Amino acid sequence: MVRQEALSSGVPNIRFIPGSRTLPGPTDVETLIPKILEGLTRPLTAKEKEGGKWKPSHQERVLFEGTLEEAQAFYQQTQDIGLPVNAPISVFTDGFPIIVPTEERVAEMLKGTTHRPDELIVHQAEHILRWGVRMQKGDPVAFQQGVQSSRKKATVEKVAINAVMAGCKPEHLPVILAISESGCNTGTTNFPSQAVCLGGPIVKEIKLNTGCGHLGPGSPVNGPIGRAFQMMAINLSGAIPGVNRMGCHGSPLNNGGMCFGENADGLPQGWLSMNEESGFGKDESVAMVMDNIGGGIVGSQFSPGGYRAFQKSGHGGMARRFDVKGKPGPHNWLEYIVPAMWAAREGPYTFVVVPEMAQHLRDYGFKTKDEVYDWLYKQSFITIKEYRGRSWPDYAGTNGWTGIEKTSGKPWRELPDDYRIPLVDDPFDCMIIVAGGQEEASVQLGGGRGPAYGIDAWR
Amino acid sequence: MAKDKTYRCLNPVGFQESVDTFPLATRLDTIDGKEIYLSICGEPDITLALEKRLKADYPNVNWKVKRTYITDPIPLTEEEMKTADAVVQGVAW
Repeated sequence: MVRQEALSSGVPNIRFIPGSRTLPGPTDVETLIPKILEGLTRPLTAKEKEGGKWKPSHQERVLFEGTLEEAQAFYQQTQDIGLPVNAPISVFTDGFPIIVPTEERVAEMLKGTTHRPDELIVHQAEHILRWGVRMQKGDPVAFQQGVQSSRKKATVEKVAINAVMAGCKPEHLPVILAISESGCNTGTTNFPSQAVCLGGPIVKEIKLNTGCGHLGPGSPVNGPIGRAFQMMAINLSGAIPGVNRMGCHGSPLNNGGMCFGENADGLPQGWLSMNEESGFGKDESVAMVMDNIGGGIVGSQFSPGGYRAFQKSGHGGMARRFDVKGKPGPHNWLEYIVPAMWAAREGPYTFVVVPEMAQHLRDYGFKTKDEVYDWLYKQSFITIKEYRGRSWPDYAGTNGWTGIEKTSGKPWRELPDDYRIPLVDDPFDCMIIVAGGQEEASVQLGGGRGPAYGIDAWR
Repeated sequence: MAKDKTYRCLNPVGFQESVDTFPLATRLDTIDGKEIYLSICGEPDITLALEKRLKADYPNVNWKVKRTYITDPIPLTEEEMKTADAVVQGVAW
């Protein structure tokens, strides 16, 4: 990872020293200092004095020629990755069998777009990426830009090849191309999960499952599109577990990939669709790339039957909890979920909510999604004292407690223990997606909305 | 597709572009009297101890610290680079 970043930064022979994961800092420093001083003073080697243009090795368009059986074996090849993996990892795939990308199949896939095969993947609009990097329309997309930068580029054909491998159809290609605009980051550290959420007419057009089981297996649309993200992450971004994809457990959400979408027909009156919230028109199709679902996925904590009793007649445990025994709904069921939601992790959440439960929130009084977001934001407040007892605030958000707290405008260190701050940076960071079947359940993804990419520009 | 027929199968891998590379900065003959930046981010367990020890053990060095607790170290400004003799960049997360 260090060498990759060093090359991308123009200093491939940089001297670096790893620190210890386990030694206490003062002890580790004892071993680090001599090495640091040696690194500063030992004269450069001939190699370290080299400069000039680093050129990648030539890449052939045709990777393999042979029978389908031979090709299948070739594309399924693995390489042994040492610690911290110590296992074989697939070179070109996600570990599952793929559809071999023959020239014929890729040509068929390319019928799904009017863009030329040799066209470079560029941003179709201005985007602000993670870390605040601003990309203009027309800027080439650098895959895995930011952390672990290989900064590779790709063409429309490259994306189509990966789409074939993932099992997509030509009508899915504009979606995959829109997703590719994200650069297919995979993140790092604990449980880095990615997902794609579709909104707008594309959902019905390609028959995406937004009903029962939409997050699970079975759909020949949801599955392959989600998988295409991971295929691009592996092949275009160059993500390799243990080398530059360092999530120590990985994530099951990335196993085969995750794609879901919003059921626009299920939106209560007055609730904007995800594509409208993202600045697109109601009739514009959008792919939102959620590349930071670090907080994981949680199913709803109540039984569907208990929920129905709660709403229909004010009966059962949920009604007892909220002192509405005998009072029919609509009741605000989010109150059941919220207290535990931020127990272990800060930040926004995405709620995937079945239409019936979305309607209950609307009937309860949340006339818009924004009103729900405001309510959630207000529920997220805790005291500074409690906040200091968490882990991430030592780094993110407070910059080691040296920064300025947003709501007060004062330095973190000057705030009293009982001052209350939100665990969500902005109300709009949370997101609601209406989807799912007819059983009363919601799913929470730990991480809010991501950047949205227009699909129509890629048709 | 016939079983024995051969097919041209395409390359899914993204391509890197050329990179302009540079020699490493000339090394120091001695650190005494030099202006050395510690550009560090994250893991204060190590970096605070490192700064303390370096300043204590090598008082003849003009140690300057640029510290942040998020992922990216703070780069030196143009002005700072005019007088800096060396940078030790510490990245921990």
